[in-house]
Amino acid sequence: MENRDKILIIDDEEVVLDSCAQILKGTPYQLATARDGTSGLALLQEFHPDLVFVDLKMPGISGFEVLEKIGEIDPTIVIVVITGFATVSSAVEAMKKGAYDFLPKPFTPDEFRLIARRGIERRKLMLEAIALRKERDLLREQFASIVSHELKAPLSAIQQNIFALEFELDKALTPEQKEKFGRIKTRIDDLLKMINSWLRVIAVDINRLKESFAPLSIADPIAIAIEHLATLAARKNIEVVSEISPDLPPIAGDKVSLTEVFVNIIGNALKYSPDGTKVHVRARQDGENITVSVADAGIGIAPEDLPHIFDGFYRGKSGQSAATGHGIGLAVARQIVEAHNGSIAVESELGKGTTFSVNLPIHKP
Amino acid sequence: MTKKLLIIDDDPDFVSGIKAILDTGGYEVDVAYNPKDGLRALQAKKYDLLLLDIMMGRGAEGIMIARKMRKDAKLREIPVLIITGMREQIAFLFPGEPVHPRFVDVDEMVEKPVEPKLLLDKVQNLIQAAEAKKAAK
Repeated sequence: MENRDKILIIDDEEVVLDSCAQILKGTPYQLATARDGTSGLALLQEFHPDLVFVDLKMPGISGFEVLEKIGEIDPTIVIVVITGFATVSSAVEAMKKGAYDFLPKPFTPDEFRLIARRGIERRKLMLEAIALRKERDLLREQFASIVSHELKAPLSAIQQNIFALEFELDKALTPEQKEKFGRIKTRIDDLLKMINSWLRVIAVDINRLKESFAPLSIADPIAIAIEHLATLAARKNIEVVSEISPDLPPIAGDKVSLTEVFVNIIGNALKYSPDGTKVHVRARQDGENITVSVADAGIGIAPEDLPHIFDGFYRGKSGQSAATGHGIGLAVARQIVEAHNGSIAVESELGKGTTFSVNLPIHKP
Repeated sequence: MTKKLLIIDDDPDFVSGIKAILDTGGYEVDVAYNPKDGLRALQAKKYDLLLLDIMMGRGAEGIMIARKMRKDAKLREIPVLIITGMREQIAFLFPGEPVHPRFVDVDEMVEKPVEPKLLLDKVQNLIQAAEAKKAAK
């Protein structure tokens, strides 16, 4: 009979406890009672109730205190406060503090049974929701590890053999054959990168970045990102002009992930810019923030696409012909920036170009 | 004298790719396709460098080898090049430690797949670093 729903009633009036016990007789609920808050809390630890009725006015520790303590012990326990008929205001306050419902005294057996049943149902729903959430997280993790093993491993093996083949044939290959190797390697590399960024979105809890925040100069991740993209920029003959105000105050952040933000945004600018144009990267102080803007003279983003570009798995219609992106770079960038308590914005005009702005708060020691 | 390398990795196709590069680079390369054979080989023969995969079998079995090597005074001297497909996940295996875990005296990590030049550079540098360290003792 361990699985019976359990109700604990904490009330200093014996007549209340007795009548509740009377009312619940013949119901499937298992009941325990306590005469004051302290013994009620002690009993709670071993009884593990689903639902607790607490009288707000008791000698010793108050019902409010009991409410708070139960919340600390197990926030999934449903609490209903018992109040005198005239004290609706304290019932409201109790509900603000986490009580699920209130039971005004005096009450009829039907009222009590109804509220008890609702409280028990509430607890079941809460536990169910938690179980579902856990299951979802587990599935997500499993999916991530399947993706990495089943997709990345074969691609890595393919790429490694192509590397080896090209290396062994180095002197025998004609320039045309070398170019074909280059194409194969680039496409496989794109695939691997795409899988990595999917994994990033699926498996990594971006909010955990906060644990590794340290003061850093915004110039660092920008410089690393520009260096990282040098090949792409050279291929399209695009000059990345960086204008970073000297003596910018530091921000608090994670260098690796901020580098990823700038790689995604500047990389986008390069991808959508015509050959031979310029991309401007500027960083300046703006009150309590540092603003980094990345401006291109590219194809621009249609007004109807603008609201969606940070959504993930979205690529603008106007960008289709030029895009080789994965549609999630900007979504990742936004998540990272928001984990830094910052914001990201975009302005664009079709055919003229696009400007992304990243705002990050200055580090306050 | 030709340097002897050992690869421990459970993916034969991947191994074929790196072994070919190392062969061309003039190394003598042995391969073990699971952690058990790998440990046996390490104990049976003297190697100048180990190339170690992390994710093998049912999980991070490569870590197990690294831990065993760390405890063994002789094996600890062998430099290790860790080759992993999961740079991000490795941080979770050593919570609180930086992404580059110090398994043994001399080690480094590269991600799969590895460019030939990078692979050969790393292998050469690690062997030299380990020899320098040994000579200084």
